[in-house]
Amino acid sequence: MVSEKSHRGNRQEPVQEEPKTHLLSMTVRRGPRSLPPIPSTSRTGFAEFSMRGRMREKLQAARSKAESALLQEIPTPRPRRLRSPSKKELETEFGTEPGKEVERTQQEVDSQSYSRVKFRDSARKIKPKPQVPPGFPSAEEAYNFFTFNFDPEPEGSEEKPKARHRAGTNQEEEEGEEEPPAQGGGKEMDEEELLNGDDAEDFLLGLDHMADDFVSVRPADYESIHDRLQMEREMLFIPSRQTVPTYKKLPENVQPRFLEDEGLYTGVRPEVARTNQNIMENRLLMQDPERRWFGDDGRILALPNPIKPFPSRPPVLTQEQSSKAELETLYKKAVKYVHSSQHVIRSGDPPGNFQLDIDISGLIFTHHPCFSREHVLAAKLAQLYDQYLARHQRNKAKFLTDKLQALRNAVQTGLYPEKPHQSLDTIQKTINEYKSEIRQTRKFRDAEQEKDRTLLKTIIKVWKEMKSLREFQRFTNTPLKLVLRKEKADQKADEEAYEAEIQAEISELLEEHTEEYAQKMEEYRTSLHQWKAWRKAQRAKKKKRKQAAEEHPDDEIAEPYPEEDLVKPSPPEPTDRAVIEQEVRKRAAQSRRRPWEPTLVPELSLAGSVTPNDQCPRAEVSRREDVKKRSVYLKVLFNNKEVSRTVSRPLGADFRVHFGQIFNLQIVNWPESLTLQVYETIGHSSPTLLAEVFLPIPETTVVTGRAPTEEVEFSSNQHVTLDHEGVGSGVPFSFEADGSNQLTLMTSGKVSHSVAWAIGENGIPLIPPLSQQNIGFWSALKKADAISSIGTSGLTDMKKLAKWAAESKLDPNDPNNAPLMQLISVATSGESYVPDFFRLEQLQQEFNFVSDQELNRSKRFRLLHLRSQEVPEFRNYKQVPVYDREIMEKVFQDYEKRLRDRNVIETKEHIDTHRAIVAKYLQQVRESVINRFLIAKQYFLLADMIVEEEVPNISILGLSLFKLAEQKRPLRPRRKGRKKVTAQNLSDGDIKLLVNIVRAYDIPVRKPAVSKFQQPSRSSRMFSEKHAASPSTYSPTHNTDYPLGQVLVRPFVEVSFQRTVCHTTTAEGPNPSWNEELELPFRAPNGDYSTASLQSVKDVVFINIFDEVLHDVLEDDRERGSGIHTRIERHWLGCVKIPFSTIYFQARIDGTFKIDIPPVLLGYSKERNMILERGFDSVGSLSEGSYITLFITIEPQLVPGESIREKFESQEDEKLLQATEKFQAECALKFPNRQCLTTVIDISGTTVFITRYLKPLNPPQELLNVYPNNLQATAELVARYVSLIPFLPDTVSFGGICDLWSTSDQFLDLLAGDEEEHAVLLCNYFLSLGKKAWLLMGNAIPEGPTAYVLTWEHGRYLIWNPCSGHSYGQFDIFCPLKNVGCLIGPDNIWFNIQRYDSPPRINFDVTRPKLWKSFFSRSLPYPGLSSVQPEELIYQRSDKAAAAELQDRIEKILKEKIMDWRPRHLTRWNRYCTSTLRHFLPLLEKSQGEDVEDDHRAELLKQLGDYRFSGFPLHMPYSEVKPLIDAVYGTGVHNIDVPNVEFALAVYIHPYPKNVLSVWIYVASLIRNR
Amino acid sequence: MATASPSVFLLMVNGQVESAQFPEYDDLYCKYCFVYGQDWDPTAGLEEGISQITSKSQDVRQALVWNFPIDVTFKSTNPYGWPQIVLSVYGPDVFGNDVVRGYGAVHVPFSPGRHKRTIPMFVPESTSKLQKFTSWFMGRRPEYTDPKVVAQGEGREAPRKAVFSVHGLTSPRALALVHIKGT
Repeated sequence: MVSEKSHRGNRQEPVQEEPKTHLLSMTVRRGPRSLPPIPSTSRTGFAEFSMRGRMREKLQAARSKAESALLQEIPTPRPRRLRSPSKKELETEFGTEPGKEVERTQQEVDSQSYSRVKFRDSARKIKPKPQVPPGFPSAEEAYNFFTFNFDPEPEGSEEKPKARHRAGTNQEEEEGEEEPPAQGGGKEMDEEELLNGDDAEDFLLGLDHMADDFVSVRPADYESIHDRLQMEREMLFIPSRQTVPTYKKLPENVQPRFLEDEGLYTGVRPEVARTNQNIMENRLLMQDPERRWFGDDGRILALPNPIKPFPSRPPVLTQEQSSKAELETLYKKAVKYVHSSQHVIRSGDPPGNFQLDIDISGLIFTHHPCFSREHVLAAKLAQLYDQYLARHQRNKAKFLTDKLQALRNAVQTGLYPEKPHQSLDTIQKTINEYKSEIRQTRKFRDAEQEKDRTLLKTIIKVWKEMKSLREFQRFTNTPLKLVLRKEKADQKADEEAYEAEIQAEISELLEEHTEEYAQKMEEYRTSLHQWKAWRKAQRAKKKKRKQAAEEHPDDEIAEPYPEEDLVKPSPPEPTDRAVIEQEVRKRAAQSRRRPWEPTLVPELSLAGSVTPNDQCPRAEVSRREDVKKRSVYLKVLFNNKEVSRTVSRPLGADFRVHFGQIFNLQIVNWPESLTLQVYETIGHSSPTLLAEVFLPIPETTVVTGRAPTEEVEFSSNQHVTLDHEGVGSGVPFSFEADGSNQLTLMTSGKVSHSVAWAIGENGIPLIPPLSQQNIGFWSALKKADAISSIGTSGLTDMKKLAKWAAESKLDPNDPNNAPLMQLISVATSGESYVPDFFRLEQLQQEFNFVSDQELNRSKRFRLLHLRSQEVPEFRNYKQVPVYDREIMEKVFQDYEKRLRDRNVIETKEHIDTHRAIVAKYLQQVRESVINRFLIAKQYFLLADMIVEEEVPNISILGLSLFKLAEQKRPLRPRRKGRKKVTAQNLSDGDIKLLVNIVRAYDIPVRKPAVSKFQQPSRSSRMFSEKHAASPSTYSPTHNTDYPLGQVLVRPFVEVSFQRTVCHTTTAEGPNPSWNEELELPFRAPNGDYSTASLQSVKDVVFINIFDEVLHDVLEDDRERGSGIHTRIERHWLGCVKIPFSTIYFQARIDGTFKIDIPPVLLGYSKERNMILERGFDSVGSLSEGSYITLFITIEPQLVPGESIREKFESQEDEKLLQATEKFQAECALKFPNRQCLTTVIDISGTTVFITRYLKPLNPPQELLNVYPNNLQATAELVARYVSLIPFLPDTVSFGGICDLWSTSDQFLDLLAGDEEEHAVLLCNYFLSLGKKAWLLMGNAIPEGPTAYVLTWEHGRYLIWNPCSGHSYGQFDIFCPLKNVGCLIGPDNIWFNIQRYDSPPRINFDVTRPKLWKSFFSRSLPYPGLSSVQPEELIYQRSDKAAAAELQDRIEKILKEKIMDWRPRHLTRWNRYCTSTLRHFLPLLEKSQGEDVEDDHRAELLKQLGDYRFSGFPLHMPYSEVKPLIDAVYGTGVHNIDVPNVEFALAVYIHPYPKNVLSVWIYVASLIRNR
Repeated sequence: MATASPSVFLLMVNGQVESAQFPEYDDLYCKYCFVYGQDWDPTAGLEEGISQITSKSQDVRQALVWNFPIDVTFKSTNPYGWPQIVLSVYGPDVFGNDVVRGYGAVHVPFSPGRHKRTIPMFVPESTSKLQKFTSWFMGRRPEYTDPKVVAQGEGREAPRKAVFSVHGLTSPRALALVHIKGT
């Protein structure tokens, strides 16, 4: 113990010292050792006590051993230090080759010993040797030991290399050194003792001897190799390479536990050679007795293999030159990519040389519709017999009986063993096992025997049935014959065996029962015991309670009994032997052949004869005939393609078809499926597919000749009923006379075939190479990758996959294989669950961070969602708030309301119900149309994105050359084309509307304030001049009222658009010239500047003409000289309305427009013919009124959406459609600018020939009754009626650029439409009035391409504007129609091929083919197309009450609006005036706004004499309230801010049939005169 | 948080269009603008800018250095529609007409800090050889109707007919210092 300690202490030291002191190593080394450094008392005591004795011993030994011993002892500390570690290290390093190692260590040892010997020799030479007794350290030596420094010693030089040698390996050595402490222990001990001895010796002798005495002379060191090895063996441990027995690696009495067997995944252990593993185990065992390095299974603990299959880091290059080599470019030839799909045999392989041989030998029907009853039975019998044969061959019952016998014998021998060498325990155990097995086997055997017996019984039963059937029908159809062979057995022996069997069984059962009984008895006893104990306890308790109850009687009630009463167990019944015997016998009788019965062996033969046809009844004969007619053939389908078919063979009477054909399939594609289709032909009818049979593709090892013939069953689900003896298929039938016990059989059968790979001429199997590779080279890979080894087709074949999994020994516990294993288990278990849906984002659920409901509840999400859906309310919603709480609930209110009201008709907005319905309907149509054109809308052209100069042609080049010579600043500048801008990149403020107001003509002029008594003379008017707006001005009397120099009118123009108002400066006179450009910003709804959105802008540009009137408000004449006090008043004169959509589509509007002047303009008159110079002017113009010249455009120019040139489906004749295309192409070629229309799209989106729209239609009878004799007046009334139907462009109503034509009834129902609907309706009315009328397609201002109506009246043509109801003569220069493209009549189309197209310059005589190209001509006669229009238009009378109600409501709304517009002023309503005005309005309607002014004026003057009155009636068709409000706002009546102003407003609605409403609004302001 | 002022987060972009590499051209200037989504709103700074004309440096780098500052602040409620800087570079051609030399766009960096971005620039190419010649001759090269289209998804399919040429791989660098500050 002590020595161990000291040793340890010493061992540590040299590690630190060595580097410094290796020169003196000898002494120094010895120093620490020899000094008594350890303070342990026991040690010193021990040292003192044993010093002398030991020294003596030592001396003794030293003397006797002499030189050799000395040599061994003295250098020990030193060489040990040196050698052993190095050896150790070598061992650890070269552990695998210990043979070499041994040699090496020996060499080393030799050299060292040699060197030491040398040293000793040299030392000896130097010092004269005093005769010291050997074994004693000389005095000098001893002295030196403590004092001397051995510096000049040659040892140093020798030590150095050693030390150096060690330096390199130091670390490991030290580590290694500690490893084998145990084995080195014994040796160390000795050494220690020796050392101690030496020390003591030195210590003692050091004083006595002289220094010289200590020098000793020794012989050369030598130790025999044997000793050396011996020593090494003691010191070193060489782990064995033998396998370590498991028990050593495990704690005592512990069985190894294999996790893998328990079903846990253990992973793959890193691969280590077995020997290495053994060595390691041995080493570990030696080193670490606690065995913590070993797992439960007795193997070294290991993590799964951490090594990657491929290095992820490039190898570290040792040499410098390699860096250059690394950068060198390597040329590698391009490798042709080989398509790795398994479907196709590789392109690199020799093509087409693979062959599948399909041998189809025949076909047997197990059921066929033509089966007779007998056949059915025969088939059944055959089947049963087959089954019997199969069972017989297997003979399971026999096998089980034998097994039972064997088991019984085993039990017998086990119970009475001959040599009881095993413990009784184990015997009992095995016997018990046997017994349970016997029980099991017996059960099986009984079942088998019973099955055999029942099968036999069934066979006999079927045969009997067949026999009886044959007897009954008196003919035989099948040659089947069953013979039952009786095998007589020895009855006695049989009986004995039977009895023995029963006895054995009884005894076994009895035994079982007794066992059971014993068990039960045991149970009973324990339970009885328990019960008794309980009872006792109970009694004791009761007693106690009684006592307690006496003391505290109350407690009793409160104490319920928690434990229920135990029932006294009843003892089990012992079993009765007789009962068991009875049972066994009964069972035996059921399942087993009785001993006295002979063994029956059925034999089925075809020996029977079939009754010939002439002896059969008719039905049977016809059945046989039918069978003869039938023939069967098979189609061979390879990869679902028919490759060949067998010959058609007739069906035999036995329903067998023999083909015997072999098909050699030369294949290119990898076989995926092989199918046979069974076709049956009856007589000459076409073949019917009976069934499909899928053949398995053969294994690659199956080649021709080796393939077995297999039978594949098929069945068909066809239902066949036959009128003869045949039982049919899928039809229930019965063998019984009463029809009970019905059977339903389906056509089924078997195909016998064999499929194999062919063998080529030279004996090479013609199998696709891929499969060959699979066998050999790929096999390794195959194991790794399921898909490559099975092939893609295999993946669908679960069985194949399962097979592969079994073959490759997949670890079912490996998490990597989990999905595969699951798949396989599902597939093999048969209950494969194939989902009938395809999930695109299986992982979606994982990423749903909140539930859908929660997400939907989020307002923010909802808002974002709606915005991205482009719901109109939210389309351009900006800055969606971050938090839900910041989103106001009201944001959704509008939207939700709209959704709610989709089907609810809301009358508030639209005031009258019909229009509300229409609005809804329109909305729906619009939605559907938008959906239809959604695709086309997202189409951008190159030009939308990129600005590019067009390809120059000669003319452009020429022009550009010409331009070079052009003046830089021409005197008369022309408008240049501008860049077009696509709508997409625009934002608010980018678009401006430019309105250039040039000049106006014939503005009404002021009338001086006439005396109230002036009565204009009505007589001066001529009736014929109904167009004259202000006939009274003819009266020259007014002229005198004008002072000559006075300004007649000071007009200015105000343009209001989207509530932005701009106005020009004020000009003077009735023909002012402004030439001013006004700029109005345009804002798209919701900031959405897409084409679709711009198209549906409903805003209208109002161009209002006002008269600026200055009123002198100066109260005091005296101040007149010093100041001007005037009030500016503006009086509305008229307006021009241009819808924005028109501007948008026309890009620019340039022309002179008629100003819409109210029929009554109080205080103003048209000064016509008054001024002389205008006199001649008016002669030519039939039209009256004022005109204004305008130029309107949008800056920048927007590109209107392209109309969709899409073909729509059509019900027209194909020939007609072709003709229209041809016609249009021809026309476009000649006059590309002229509008030519042949087909249009109706509201449901189909193409319709245009003439179908024209057909005489009756106007409302009400209108016809007004002027029964005046056709002209009626025509005008009708035109007015049509114009009262509101105008709504298609783009607004339907979205997208598509011109949808609705029929007249649809138009009247919708009460909205654009020019063509108006024109069609008007034209149809005119036709019904008996006029000659055409639809005129052309260009007009401001509408652009439009439709007008042309009529022929009294030798002149009239052009009707259907939207305004005005008519113009052909030569009217103010006619808005500017050019004519084509005319359309009810039965033809005429295209204008004249040189000019402006109406005054063309001839409207369509009969002249030189001027008009007609569509239907002699070559293509009019086919008599039916009209799409209804037979008759039905007009409901308008509801007068509803109109009156509407009238009140509108009036109220307008009044409120006017008050709203005047927030800073008090708005007073002059009720008296209002009622007067209300009285006037019906008159205006009656006279259509003409001829009433003077009466009116007089009336007004009479009643409101004290007031300065300015006001006017507005007339509009009614569509919605908003336009009315806008119109009133546009007049600017509310702008008067004279303090004492009063207003009057009256509304009158005149209902026309079909809810067409004419709205009159009379608005006026009154200022009291003083 | 007061209900009056809806909460937003701010994106402050400081940076500059540093330089460009257009080996073929000289005397270029650049324009920048931002394209952003509906929920974004510039609150301060300039959304657009036109730089000075710069000449190539005389050294080997031949860099066109603008160092043109960008400083803009956006507020937003939604990271969707994160602003993109659209750069377009113009310069005179042989005849002295200003023609476009490159378009490019890059998102404003998503994380705060200094970022340097290099944008490849490209121009649309004429649809035919003849047009190419005439556009060269007339000095009217094909241009985008709006440089912003390069940052937008709409209408990408339209120029499928057109050819795009990448005018070398030239690269102005935008250095953006982005501070994102949420309130």
